[in-house]
Amino acid sequence: MKITKNQNGNSLCLALEGRLDTNTAPELENTIKGAIEGVEELTIDMADLDYLSSAGLRVLLGAQKIMNKQGSMRVIHVNDTIMEIFEVTGFADILTIEKA
Amino acid sequence: MADTYDGQNACAEDNMDTSMISIRHLCKQYPNVTPLRDINLEIKKGEVISIIGPSGTGKSTLLRCINLLETPTKGEIVVDGVITTDKKCKVNLVRQKMGMVFQSFNLFAHKSVIENIMMGQVDLLGRSRQEAYDRGMELLRTIGLADKALAYPDELSGGQKQRAAIARTLAMEPEIILFDEPTSALDPTMTGEVLSVIRRLAGQGMTMMIVTHEMKFAREVSTRILYMDQGEIYEDGTPEQIFEHPRRERTRIFIRQLKVLHAEKISRNFDFPAFMTRLEEFGRRQQMAQRRIYAMQLAVEEVLMMKLLPAAAKEGARDISLDVEYSERENLSQMRFSYSGPAIDLFDDDEDLSGRIIKGISKEMEHTFADGINHFLINI
Repeated sequence: MKITKNQNGNSLCLALEGRLDTNTAPELENTIKGAIEGVEELTIDMADLDYLSSAGLRVLLGAQKIMNKQGSMRVIHVNDTIMEIFEVTGFADILTIEKA
Repeated sequence: MADTYDGQNACAEDNMDTSMISIRHLCKQYPNVTPLRDINLEIKKGEVISIIGPSGTGKSTLLRCINLLETPTKGEIVVDGVITTDKKCKVNLVRQKMGMVFQSFNLFAHKSVIENIMMGQVDLLGRSRQEAYDRGMELLRTIGLADKALAYPDELSGGQKQRAAIARTLAMEPEIILFDEPTSALDPTMTGEVLSVIRRLAGQGMTMMIVTHEMKFAREVSTRILYMDQGEIYEDGTPEQIFEHPRRERTRIFIRQLKVLHAEKISRNFDFPAFMTRLEEFGRRQQMAQRRIYAMQLAVEEVLMMKLLPAAAKEGARDISLDVEYSERENLSQMRFSYSGPAIDLFDDDEDLSGRIIKGISKEMEHTFADGINHFLINI
């Protein structure tokens, strides 16, 4: 998975490319931990994300919990396949999601 | 005049059983290959037996051994109480009881159809030429080839050639006919005419063994199916048993035309990214939709990486294996995980994220536990 970080003041956008799974989820978790301090608007761009499993969902949930305390979080450009995962897991009700 | 079969008893068995043919521990070996390993089989009068299975698994070799066109390496074949594998046995006499129909017809090209049918009757059965002609014409009429009696094989279509070959075999009044892939050399348009002749013979109570790849035909016409695989009779049953409820794994894969991806001895060193790539390639080869491939990958990840491998790590090394099966005909992917260890249920916790994903992507889930092994089945 490739993570492209784009920080603008207190806004942080992380664009994900490839697969967010058991193997790559720790990388995203570390990136978020290292950059989230002081961030008030976190955006996860999934335009080029092909695959998302529960390991990725857990990282997103962790990020949402942090952002609930210090600002807001959006997940954008979510394709239909990944949207289905958000829906069956109930994450569609927890996260702020914008479909592709 | 040819000897009659009844006249020879040089190698007749003392204890005749009710079987028309008994095969015991039949083995055929060539220097580099063993097409038949240990065949045991009883064939009773009136049975219509289709022999099915993948190519190169000994089906034709079995027929050729029964007819002694191949000499078995080991074992015994008893035809009507006569041990045909005995060196003293008069093979030609036994062969007269068995007709054989070949994939490539084997008609004499320089003789007309009726002459092909008459030859054996005159030379081996001792019939007069008139008797042989009359019987030949009678048979040609029953299979709709009377008007081709004087034609030469090259003037016939493939289907007509094979029907003529069947008439030639019938003219020898066999008690059993061995068909070796009788329609494999034919265009699909000609297969039906040959199968309908065989179907009619089955209806008349003729004992037959048919090596065939025509599954629908085998199912309809047979009283018994032998599934051969790797040189042995892997499963033997009625058409309903074999086609609807195959008991054994390879039969099931063959019958349902399953494509299979297998992984065993999965441990914590499991190369997960490489297996995901294999699974993707497998799906693409079967031309699956990307959505289905994704769901299969999710099932593997959630079950193996999130459930079974952590459980195995906690309890010490456990055997984990996975079979991914795809049936294009049923448009179904089946993931079969097995885990040897204490009973664990992956599907009972609705609050669990992995469980919710598995439930969300699957059509059906099933968990069974028997003999210390958990079996998880997920249909996608």
